[in-house]
Amino acid sequence: MRFEDWPEEWQEWAKLTPIERFRESEKIFAQYLAMGGTLDPDPDPASPFYDPSQWNPRLAHGRAGLRVLRRGAS
Amino acid sequence: MGGQACVFYGAAQVSKDVDFLILADEDNFDRLRNALETLQAPRIAVPRFDPAVLARGHAVHFRCKAPGVEGLRIDIMTKLRDLPDFEELWQRRTVVADEEGMQFHLLSVPDLVKAKKTQRAKDWPMIEALVMMHCRENLSAPTPEWIAFWLTESRSPERLVDLTIQFPAEAGRLEPVRPLLAHAIAGNLPALREALDAEVRAEQEKDRIYWEPLKREMEAFRRDESTPQ
Repeated sequence: MRFEDWPEEWQEWAKLTPIERFRESEKIFAQYLAMGGTLDPDPDPASPFYDPSQWNPRLAHGRAGLRVLRRGAS
Repeated sequence: MGGQACVFYGAAQVSKDVDFLILADEDNFDRLRNALETLQAPRIAVPRFDPAVLARGHAVHFRCKAPGVEGLRIDIMTKLRDLPDFEELWQRRTVVADEEGMQFHLLSVPDLVKAKKTQRAKDWPMIEALVMMHCRENLSAPTPEWIAFWLTESRSPERLVDLTIQFPAEAGRLEPVRPLLAHAIAGNLPALREALDAEVRAEQEKDRIYWEPLKREMEAFRRDESTPQ
């Protein structure tokens, strides 16, 4: 994919300065946490740090993880 | 050096943790211990915080409890696969400062791209985005070093074809280093896609082999810590 083919949202993101991106990221992250997002790592068996004994499925499938409740027509 | 660096560079929008590559030096470890104390961040997984363990390539994981950063995970490393030692990486780092003068020291884009060549599938689109962003920001005044970086690290077939058209001499010179450039020069997108996929698989295998003994060590650390003293 070429840069010109990137979704508009990403093109807007690219036009920000590094510090602007960091500040925007802080806002997005605050929203994510406010919506119940978890700080736990997503289960990733491909990661060398993945320890199945420490992964709590409740976090990914329960209240702490963000999940799609309804998909729009797009 | 991880996802947060990708945010600064425009290749990601959020990261759930903060990864630090630090100088393995006793004074620096003391500063780190003080910082972790301020953040009320105990270790949350194996391995233990031990310079010798870090020097073998392990990451040590912490989780903050201090107000304002509750739950934030911090990963510390002192060595990265296939990358030079800290001093060299520090020399070529990127420094970003905010309005108040707060500085953020980031792995350079080429080093971050190398660090992201892992067995995790989610890191590869990040590499593509990092190179794409770097190319977009520097294409109007390219240096020989940047051109070589784009030609050897771009992961978008279309972008690679564009680059070989724009920099044919450099592409020809780099073909022995990255044979799939021949497909880009020929404009053969299906063959290029296939070769790019093979490149990913080969790099993932290298990462897997690198981590194999470290994973065995981690298993041993877990057993040690779960054994009642």
